[in-house]
Amino acid sequence: MDILELVQANILTPVVLFFIFGIITARIKSDLKIPEAISEFLPIYLLAAIGLHGGLEMRKTGFESMLVPLLVAIGLSILMTLYHYQILKRLGKFNIFDSYALASTYGAVGAVTFSVGLSFLKNQGITSEGYITAILATLEPIAFIIAIFLTNMAVSKQTQIKKQTFVKNKDNTDLDTINVEQKKKLFQVLRESITGKAIVILLGSIIIGYAIDIDGFAPIKIVFDDLFVGAIVIFLIEMGIIAGHRLDDIKKGGVFLIGFALAIPTINGIIGVLIATYLGLSIGGAVMYGLLFASASFIAAPAVLRHAIPQAKPSLYITSALGITFPYIIMILLPIMLILSTTFHNMESINLGSYFVEAWK
Amino acid sequence: MKLYNAKLLTITCEILAQKNVIDILHKHHISGYTFYEVGGSGAKGIRGQGFQNEKNIKIEVILQEEKLSDVLEEIARTLFSDYAIITYVSDVGVIRTEKFV
Repeated sequence: MDILELVQANILTPVVLFFIFGIITARIKSDLKIPEAISEFLPIYLLAAIGLHGGLEMRKTGFESMLVPLLVAIGLSILMTLYHYQILKRLGKFNIFDSYALASTYGAVGAVTFSVGLSFLKNQGITSEGYITAILATLEPIAFIIAIFLTNMAVSKQTQIKKQTFVKNKDNTDLDTINVEQKKKLFQVLRESITGKAIVILLGSIIIGYAIDIDGFAPIKIVFDDLFVGAIVIFLIEMGIIAGHRLDDIKKGGVFLIGFALAIPTINGIIGVLIATYLGLSIGGAVMYGLLFASASFIAAPAVLRHAIPQAKPSLYITSALGITFPYIIMILLPIMLILSTTFHNMESINLGSYFVEAWK
Repeated sequence: MKLYNAKLLTITCEILAQKNVIDILHKHHISGYTFYEVGGSGAKGIRGQGFQNEKNIKIEVILQEEKLSDVLEEIARTLFSDYAIITYVSDVGVIRTEKFV
């Protein structure tokens, strides 16, 4: 199918239309909003549904096939966070705190984006490997930990330089206490992001999904499978409203940030699809794998980063992730990644085919 | 009934600074406080809308004057530059002064 055609078809799905609808209601200053309890409940529901789905699928595929994609994903996530930082710091001229915060927002995985990706594939009738959900749960804390670790290093280096210039016969005890405090902070962030509700519900549901198998899933299927897309639709009204209220902030971020928020997901997503194809994931699996790297976190990231890097401006990273990257991914990048994934898979099978022909001769 | 003098410290801040404020209170051995969710507008625009993490809260602490300046100093030093936060102090009268040490 033509890319434009697929993008067009994708925009005319309830998920995307209701998101746009949410933005419009915010722009016309309507008082429409989703009740607070529901908008708090929905992310938990979505993560539980994703987790169960992943657990069920993992039972079919087993753990062994997951190891290589998982390790590659961790490596990629670290690399990407580092190069985001270099781009933001050197080209974007952001300060060190904003650079690290933005770098890890884009290095982290967006669970909402992930749910929309699953519903997009469901809509196309394509399945994906369940273990990608487990990779999602593993990747979630990693980008934060790297960014926080690097920020702490940078800050302690700065204080060290300051100390040395102020106090000539340097007193190491002060520096030691700073280091100990930073280690404590790093450990605390690590603990908080692992015991945070997103990871806990995701991992819990994966394990439960794995344990109950298809038979156990049958009685709850109506809630966690059939209602899944409908729940995303309701949640996206809320996301649209919040994004709509923030549209004015986008201008404050500047042209560079807009460009970054569009280019980085595209590049990362395509790299992800390519690598997944190379690793032998299915067409749908490669799209979801690419989505892990394309997406930016706008719910989990602010909660962690506000504590870990309080000097960074949250309006920058929330606005760019929710206001620019998220709409771009669900409207345009998802169909593009699907087409690329299909093309890469076809190319590979052709190559393999010709290889076999060569071998026969 | 006799009323004893005490200080009421009120802190209005973004919800993600709540933990920091309460840690500071604990550090100064203050275990009693009240907090509730609020909304409003300030230097950082309209507050209390959007994500759960962007809510605002108001924390009220009654304490003796001796502790006040240390607590205020630490809040100002560690939180003022990075968080949306407003702090003020008022005089209040309490009946059971031993509850607010």
